[in-house]
Amino acid sequence: MRSCWPAAVLMPVTCFLAASSPSSNESIFREQILPVLQANCATCHAVANPASDFSIKTFDDILRGGKHGPAITPGKSDESLLVQYVRGEKTPKMPMGGALPDAAITSLAAAIDRMQPAQNQAAARDAYLDWVLHAPKPPAIPGVKRKEWVKNPVDAFILSKLEEKGLEPAPTANRRALLRRVYFDLIGLPPSPEEIEHFINDPSADAYEKVVDKLLADRRYGERWARHWLDLVRYAETDGFAIDSERPTAWRYRDYVIRAFNDDKPYNLFVKEQLAGDELTGKQFSAEKRSERLVALGFLRMGPWEADANFRTQLRQDFLNEVTSTTASMFLGLTVGCARCHNHKYDPIPQRDFYRMQAFFAATKIDERAAAFMEVEHPDELKRLRRKCEDEAEPASGSLKKLEERLKQNYIEAKHLKPDDKTAGDFQKALKDAKDPIYTAEERQAWQESKDLARKLNEAIPRYSPVAYSAADVTPPDVPAVADTYVLAGGELAAKGEKVEPGFLECITGTREPAKIPYSDDGSGRRLVLAEWIASPENPLASRVMVNRLWQYHFGDGIIRTPSDVGKNGDRPSNPELLDWLAVQFLEKKWSIKAVHKLMLTSNAYQQSAESPEAKRYAEIDPNNRLLWRMNWIRLEAEVVRDSILALSGRLQSCDGGPGVFLNIPADVAEGFEFFKWFPSDEQEQLRRTIYTFQRRSVVMPMMEVFDGANMSESCARRNITTVAPQAFSLLNSEFTNTEAKYFAGRVMKLAGNDAERQIDEAFRLALGRAPTVEETGKARALFVHSDARDALTRLAVVLFNLNEFIYLE
Amino acid sequence: MNFELARRRFLYQSLTGVGGLALGELLNRDLKAASTENPLAPRKPHHTPKAKSCIFLTMLGGVSQVDTFDPKPTLDKFDNTLMDWSKERNTDQPGLFAKPRLVLKSAFKFQKYGQCGMDVSELFPQVATCVDDMAFVRSIQAESGNHPAAVFQLDTGFVMPGHPSMGAWVTYGLGTENQNLPAFVVLPDFRSLPFSGSQQWGSGFLPASYQGTVLRWKGEAIRDLKPPSEVTPQIQNQEMELLRGLNQEYLEKHFTNPELQGRMNAYELAYRMQAEVPGVLDLAKESEATKQMYGMNNSVTESFGKRCLMARRMVEHGVRFVQLYTPSQSWDGHTDVAKNHEKNARETDQPIAALIKDLKQRGLFDSTLLVWMGEFGRTPDCPAENREHAGRDHNTRAMTIWFAGGGIKGGTLVGATDDLGFKAVHDAYRIRDVHATILHQMGLSDLDLTYYNAGRNMRLTDTGGRVIRPVVG
Repeated sequence: MRSCWPAAVLMPVTCFLAASSPSSNESIFREQILPVLQANCATCHAVANPASDFSIKTFDDILRGGKHGPAITPGKSDESLLVQYVRGEKTPKMPMGGALPDAAITSLAAAIDRMQPAQNQAAARDAYLDWVLHAPKPPAIPGVKRKEWVKNPVDAFILSKLEEKGLEPAPTANRRALLRRVYFDLIGLPPSPEEIEHFINDPSADAYEKVVDKLLADRRYGERWARHWLDLVRYAETDGFAIDSERPTAWRYRDYVIRAFNDDKPYNLFVKEQLAGDELTGKQFSAEKRSERLVALGFLRMGPWEADANFRTQLRQDFLNEVTSTTASMFLGLTVGCARCHNHKYDPIPQRDFYRMQAFFAATKIDERAAAFMEVEHPDELKRLRRKCEDEAEPASGSLKKLEERLKQNYIEAKHLKPDDKTAGDFQKALKDAKDPIYTAEERQAWQESKDLARKLNEAIPRYSPVAYSAADVTPPDVPAVADTYVLAGGELAAKGEKVEPGFLECITGTREPAKIPYSDDGSGRRLVLAEWIASPENPLASRVMVNRLWQYHFGDGIIRTPSDVGKNGDRPSNPELLDWLAVQFLEKKWSIKAVHKLMLTSNAYQQSAESPEAKRYAEIDPNNRLLWRMNWIRLEAEVVRDSILALSGRLQSCDGGPGVFLNIPADVAEGFEFFKWFPSDEQEQLRRTIYTFQRRSVVMPMMEVFDGANMSESCARRNITTVAPQAFSLLNSEFTNTEAKYFAGRVMKLAGNDAERQIDEAFRLALGRAPTVEETGKARALFVHSDARDALTRLAVVLFNLNEFIYLE
Repeated sequence: MNFELARRRFLYQSLTGVGGLALGELLNRDLKAASTENPLAPRKPHHTPKAKSCIFLTMLGGVSQVDTFDPKPTLDKFDNTLMDWSKERNTDQPGLFAKPRLVLKSAFKFQKYGQCGMDVSELFPQVATCVDDMAFVRSIQAESGNHPAAVFQLDTGFVMPGHPSMGAWVTYGLGTENQNLPAFVVLPDFRSLPFSGSQQWGSGFLPASYQGTVLRWKGEAIRDLKPPSEVTPQIQNQEMELLRGLNQEYLEKHFTNPELQGRMNAYELAYRMQAEVPGVLDLAKESEATKQMYGMNNSVTESFGKRCLMARRMVEHGVRFVQLYTPSQSWDGHTDVAKNHEKNARETDQPIAALIKDLKQRGLFDSTLLVWMGEFGRTPDCPAENREHAGRDHNTRAMTIWFAGGGIKGGTLVGATDDLGFKAVHDAYRIRDVHATILHQMGLSDLDLTYYNAGRNMRLTDTGGRVIRPVVG
C-alpha cells in the first residue's frame, strides 16, 4: 500500500486530520453504549449466537446487527432496533427475562440521538458492487479538448479525467529517463550507454515503439515479469515450517511461468493450465504438452506445507483452504478466504460459497507425477547433469560409509564393546559431542566434511528427475466417490454443517445451482470447470483483475490500488471506465498480455515525466496522483537492484532455467537448522539473475529481506516500499556490493584507460546512463587522492549503486 | 538552489499537499516534526506519560495460566475425571471439545510471595521475588486460538496480517529520544523466529520509518553495519561525502519526491548508528556480577538473559520500544506440558527477574513499562487419548499476563477465572485492552492515536480498548 502515498512527511498531516473528530459515533458507542451492553447483554451477545446472529463486540457488529438488521440507526433512537427491544416494543423484550432500568434506556436513546446520521453509504457501496460484479461493457471513448495528446484510447480516458479537474498532463519524459523506465519495467535491467545513445539519436517517429517491441521480444522480459507472478503464487522451493523440505523440481514451475510470459501464452490458457492442467491432458495431446501442463499444475502446491503435521485431515483441510483463498484472490480479486469461518463481512459472499468453491478441489491430492523433460528444458543436458551428480555422489557416499565404519571401530575399541553391541551406533553421538575424548578434532572435522559432501551431492540428484511437483484427482474407481464437502462452522473440521456441491460465486452468477461437471477421463473434471468459468469472457473479474495488475506494475499504482481485493473493502477505482475498456481490450486481443503491455506502454500517459511544472498546485487537487497528471516515481525492487549491479560489473550470467542456485548467505541466517544444510553453489553459477536463485522459506537472502522482497508464505500482490537504515548497510557494506564494485572498477579501467576523468565519465555512463557534470567529476576526483585508481573506482561504484538516481526511476 | 531553500520548498509542497485542509493545531505538530525532517523526532504525548520506554516479553506458544500464576486447587480434586463440555457448544474451537477430555491438575506447587501474597508456581521462583513490583491480570481473553492469527493479534491488534505492530504505533505516536539508535528494537530468538517473521514487527500501513529493527545477539548486531576492512574511516568519510553531495544535487532537481529526502535521512541515520550501536551493545562493559545475574554464563538462560541485558541497555540509551520473543511456539505444550513449561520457565525466569532488579537498581524501573504475555492461555484439561503425555490445548478465554514498572501499581491482582481456570469470569479484558493500557502508560490515548488508511481511521485497538485501570494505579 505504501508507494502510492507521498511518504513520510505528508502522512502525519493526513492522519492528524482524521484524528480530529472527538465524538465520533464510534467513541459515543464505546463510552456511552458499550458499557451498558457489556453489563447487561454480554452473556448471550458477547459473540454472535445462533438464535439472533447478533454480537455487541464492536461498533461494526452493532451497525451490521443480527438477523433482524442493524441494531442502531445513528441519530435515530426510535428507529433503532436495540432501543425497540429494550423498551419491549419488539418481542422478546431484552434483556431476555429481565429489564433495563428506565434511566439506562433513556441514556442509551440519548446517546444514539447524539450520533451523526449515516449518509447513504450503503447505497453508494452497492452501486460499486453492481459495477464490479457485472461483466464490463466496452465504454465509449471520451472526448477531450487536447486531442493531440491522445496516442491511444488509454490517453483519452486519462485526459478526460484530468480535464474534468482542470489538470494538464506532465510533459513527455526526456529520452534517457524514458528509456531507463521502459528497460527496467520490461526486462529489469539498465540499458547500455550505447542503447541510450542510439535511442536519443533515433529521429524516426516510431523510435520508442521499436524499443518496446524489441524488449517485449527479449527473453529477459519473461525473467522480469515471471517474478511478479511468482510473488502472487507465493513461490518457494521448500515447504516452510520446521522441516522445510526441499521441493526438488519446483523450479520447473518457475521456468514454466517465464516461458508463459515470453511466449505470450493467452491468459485464459495460463489460468486453465495452472488450475486444471491435468484435466487438459487427454490422449490427444503430445507428451510435451502433458509435461507442460502437469508442471503448471504445481500452482496448486505453491503454499507452505506442514509435512510433519500430526493431524493429516487438518493438513488436507488447510491445503484446501489455502488453495481456495489464493485462487479467489489471485484470479478474481476477491477475498473469498474471509468467508471460511463466517459470511464475508463486507462482500456478498456467504460462507457457503467458500465451501462451494472449495468443492471444486475436493478430489485433489498432492502428487509428484512423472513428466518427461521438454525440449525447451534441455533434456539431454539435464540427463547429463543428473548422471554427473550420481557419479559424484556414489563415491562420496562410499567414502563416508568407509569413514564411519572406521570411526565406529574406534568407538568399539575405546568402549571395549563387542563388535555386534547395539550401543555401537552411539558413535555418532560421541562424534557430535566436542568434549568426548574418543575422537580428535581432526576426526570430527573429517567426518563432518565427508557427511556434508555426500549430502550435498545426493541432494542434487532429484533436482534433475523428470518429475512434476504437481497434483492429481482421487476419483472412482480408486475411491467409492469423490469426497463430500461441507460448510464448516467457524472453519472447524469437527463442525460439519450443510453439505455443498461445487458451484460458482452466487454474487456473480446470481444462482446457487451446482456447476455442471461433465465426465472427464483424467480426473474428476471439477477444476477444469472452475478454470473455464474463471477464464470465461462472462466472468467480470478475471480480465479486470489481471489488467489492473499489469497497470500497477507499469504505473506503480493500480487503477484499483488493492489488486487482490476489488471488493467493497478494497480501494475504489480511480478510472473505472479505463479499467473496463482495458478489460474488454484484453478479451478482444484474445487474452494477450503483450498486447495489453503495448497499449499501456505506448500511451502518452506512460511516457509522461515524473515531474510536473504544476506539481505544487496539482498536489492540492490530487495529492496521490490518482489521475496521473505525472508519471509515478518507481523504486527498483530488490531483485532488480541485485541483477543490475551484476549487469554493471559485467558478471551477470545468462541462464536458461534449471534448478535454483544457492547464494552465499551469512552463517547466522543459513545455519543452525536441524533438518537441512545450506550449500552455496559454485561462484560462477551464483552470478545468475535473482529469479534463478534457490528460494528457501526459512532462509531469506538478507538483501531481499531489507528491500521488501516478497513474503514467500502469502500471496504478495504488491511489494512494500520502505526506507530504513539497514538498507543502507546492505547496499554500502555487504560483501556482494563490494565484490561487484571491484569488478565494475576493472571493467571501467578496461574501457576508459588510465585517465581518471575518463574513468569517472565511463562509470557514470554505465551506471546512470549519462555523463557526469563538471562539478560531479570534481567531487568524484576526491576519491582518487589517497587511493590508487582501482580502489578509488571501487568506492565510486559503491557510491553510484547507492545513489537515489540509481534506485529511483524518474 | 541551496539546501535550505530546497528543503523549505519541499516542506511547503508536502504541507500543502493535503488539499488546503492543513489547519491550526494540525499544522503545528507536523511543522514541528517536519522541521527536524525526521519522522522519528520526539513528539508530544497526549497526556503526561508514566513510562518512557516499553519492554515487551513475548511468550510465544501460549503459557498455561493454571501452571504459573493462577492456582486452581479444584483441578487437583477432579484430576483425571471426564470434563463435561456439553454447555460449551458455542465455542470458538468446537473441534477441541469433540473428543473426551480429562481434567488435568497442575504438576507444579504454588506458594504465596511478597507483601501482597501473590500466588506463583515453582516454575518462576525468581520472578516470584519481585511480585510486589508486578501487577497480574488473570482475565485476558484472545480472539483467535490459532497461532499465526493469535500472534498477529498480540503484535498488531488484528488477527489478519497487514496492520502495524504495537512498537510501530508507539514510535509513530511518540518518536524516539535517541536518533542514533533504532526507535523500535526487536530481539527474536534465532533458533526459531515467530510465524511470519518480520511482519510481526512491521509498520503495516504506517510509514516504514516505524518498523522494528532486529538486533542480533551473536556476531555483528546489525548485519553489514561496517564496511569491509580495507575501507578506512577516512575513505568511508570521503565516500559518504560524495554520496551526500550527489544525492543533494539530485534532490534539488527533484524536490517534489519526498522519498528522496527520506532515503537520504536513512543513510545519515545508518552512518550515526554505525558509530553508536557497537558501544551500546558491547556487553563486555558489563560487570561479571551483572552477567551472572542475567544467567549469561549458563547455556540454558544465555539466550534470553543476553537479550534481557541488551533490552536494559537499549532503554538506558533512549530506545522507545523493545520486544523480546521466545522461540516460535516454545510454550505450546500440547504434549507433556509439564516438561515443556519447565524448560521454557528455566530459560526465562532468572533473566526476567534480573531485568526487573537491574532496572530498579539503575533507577530505570519507574520509566520502563514491562509487559509479559503470550498469545492465549491454555486449557485446564487434556485429550483423554493422550493421558500419558498429558498436554494442554489453546484457550482463548483466559490467560494471565503481568505488567511491571512504568507507573504500574505493584502487588495488584486483577480479574479471576472460574474454578477450573477455563474462562475469565470477573473483569474480563481483551488484548486490545492490554494495548490501550500500554499506550496509556506511555502517554497516548488509544482512541486518538489514529492513522487514516483505505478510507478509515485505523487504530491499534480498532474500535477502542479499555485501559485496565486497577493496574495503572
